Amino acid sequence: MYIIKTSCISPQKTHDGSYANDIISYNGNKYNAIEPDYKGLIRPAQLRRMGKTIRMGIGAGLPILQDIERVDGIILASSEGGLEDCIKFLNQIVDYDEGSLTPTNFVQSTPNALAGNLALMSKCQAYNMTHVHRGGAMENALLDALLLFEEKKADLLLLGNVEEISDYNFNIETLAGQFKKEEVTSDALLNSQTPGTVCGEGSSMFLLSNNPDNALAEIMDVAQVSFPHKEDILDFIIGFLSRNLLSPEDIDTIIIGKNGDVRTDFWYDYVCDELFQSQNQYSFKNIVGEYPTSIAFATHFACELLAGKDAPEETIIREINAPKNILIYNHFKGEQHGVILIRK
Amino acid sequence: MNIFVTGLGCISPLGFNLKENLAQLRAEQDGLVRSEYLESRYKSEKFYGEVKMDTSSLLDRINVSCKKGLTRTDALAFVAFDEAINHAGLTKTEVESHDTAFISASTVGGMCLTDELYRDANLNTETSEYSGSYNCAAHTLRITKEYKIKGITNTINTACSSSANAIMLGLKLIRSGRVKRAIVGGADSLAKYTVNGFNALQILSDKKCTPFDSERDGLNLGEGAAYIVLEAEEACLSKEKYARLLGAGNTNDAFHTSSMSDTADGVTACIRQALQDGGMAENDIDYINAHGTGTQNNDQVELTGFSNVFKSIPPFSSTKSYTGHTLGAAGSLEAIYSILSIKHNEIYPSLRVSNAIAGFDVSPVAGYTNDITINTVLSNSYGFGGNCTSLLFGKV
Repeated sequence: MYIIKTSCISPQKTHDGSYANDIISYNGNKYNAIEPDYKGLIRPAQLRRMGKTIRMGIGAGLPILQDIERVDGIILASSEGGLEDCIKFLNQIVDYDEGSLTPTNFVQSTPNALAGNLALMSKCQAYNMTHVHRGGAMENALLDALLLFEEKKADLLLLGNVEEISDYNFNIETLAGQFKKEEVTSDALLNSQTPGTVCGEGSSMFLLSNNPDNALAEIMDVAQVSFPHKEDILDFIIGFLSRNLLSPEDIDTIIIGKNGDVRTDFWYDYVCDELFQSQNQYSFKNIVGEYPTSIAFATHFACELLAGKDAPEETIIREINAPKNILIYNHFKGEQHGVILIRK
Repeated sequence: MNIFVTGLGCISPLGFNLKENLAQLRAEQDGLVRSEYLESRYKSEKFYGEVKMDTSSLLDRINVSCKKGLTRTDALAFVAFDEAINHAGLTKTEVESHDTAFISASTVGGMCLTDELYRDANLNTETSEYSGSYNCAAHTLRITKEYKIKGITNTINTACSSSANAIMLGLKLIRSGRVKRAIVGGADSLAKYTVNGFNALQILSDKKCTPFDSERDGLNLGEGAAYIVLEAEEACLSKEKYARLLGAGNTNDAFHTSSMSDTADGVTACIRQALQDGGMAENDIDYINAHGTGTQNNDQVELTGFSNVFKSIPPFSSTKSYTGHTLGAAGSLEAIYSILSIKHNEIYPSLRVSNAIAGFDVSPVAGYTNDITINTVLSNSYGFGGNCTSLLFGKV
């Protein structure tokens, strides 16, 4: 499965590709997306009615579809969907005591609204799917695409993720202890040695093909495991590599999902210390924050590395040579772990 | 490759297990009531397909190590999941095996706790036992953890076609050889959130719904959970098998965010895709378990789709006339009813239908029918966002 095109809206200036030399530093727990000017892409009247999830997803998705006659499916990964709309509707219900409500927020709040809107705007009547498996949603979306290509039911697919920061998820995750209690700058995040992380958002979209012509990268395989014990994780990763006829020495680059939460970053240290001591090593959550489908950003980032672009200094943990065979290893709250194998 | 259904589990407005559901279907007894447990000003104004037990008693029925933070959706999911794996005779080792996938679906998730969600999302509290419970995947992850599932797990939300897609993905995973079996389905519970959402769209009926009747005026919301166990032939050689899952179709109508096109583009293409995927011709279909919500738009469009595909429309009915629309559970609950139709050679009717929809000279099956042979059933599910899924089941 090959990546032909990527597009990304994130807390960095990824939408126009200028982010690498101009990384934005953050202070505090919210890393808000730098959104592009949507003019020319979305009609103003339409834009005003769109929640942030739909707006970012369309803002990242439609440019991918430009110049493409048709895709054979749209596959989305989103843990939460349109939370801003969800809480607006929720607040209406309670504040107006279930009186007469307008359904717009309700319809936009369902996580499949983005895939539906993308289908509608691109007149795509083909395969349409939305994976919402929290920290495993993106891995499942990629698996879905692998299956479609294997079954020869698709030649081209639009696939991506979207996640937004809203009062809803930010407050609920705050109650769950997900975020740092003290203010930490993005520069200091990964070495903070305290519980909690920071909240990010964004949308990464990919045009996938079964044909290697003009490809940026090949996604070889993807896997996931839930609630592993510490000792299981090495077997999981070695098993994943070996089913692709690889061993850890064949990997020259690992991108890890370290997020500065002292309670769960040990997974990355353990895996890197045991299996990947001499490889290039990059982080990404210190520039875009944590969210359940953030492995989609890592995939975008891997494409940039494979294209020979310089990695922003902030993301380099160890850099030895040019990345060719990349393993992305990420987990969400230590509960859902995912790996993606991606190469030139 | 033959893929068999080896286990079924469900909890619905018709009963707490498969046996009770079957008895009610045969007796033409719907489960639609004024709500007893929903906290909403509409609880007595509308009819609901409510599971006849309060949440705390439901939680008492399940055997889970820690019940903290569990919601009604979780409880329903646990009940149906447990029945399905026991019905299939899966061992603990099989459930935990890397060869076993678990794919669930939900649209409401933990939002059944609408008031708690309002409190937590607006930070009107300092701690909450439910902070991890609202997400659509919460029930999947709770089951995954409790049953130590190590294989592929997933949660789908494509609105009202969610659990039909979970079944389709199970089929694809087994076909690909990545797993030998998949436990697939979905769960949803009644929520103030969805009641108000559908009410704002003005598609909730004040009466018991009448899918495919000319006078239909909307749907009844329902709740429940349903899981089926799918196994590759090599994994279930000596087991009792209830049906085969032959194929599936998935399309998008790409017409409107909350209604379907008059020309039924998505519906038509989806049925054709399922037939092709399952290697069946249009005249092989013996019965269609329709999506049949009872709204003006759905039933008209679905019938248009049938007319587009079938020279002679096969017998069809909507079992939502028994259960209401159970949203994320509807696709898998109706898959189970379709499998029962095949297993027992019978059709569970569309209840309360008086007149055919104008422009179509066909009516749904209006009474319990058991003097027929049912070899192949098509089960349809459609959702907001234009999502269409059709599943094709066949006799063993």
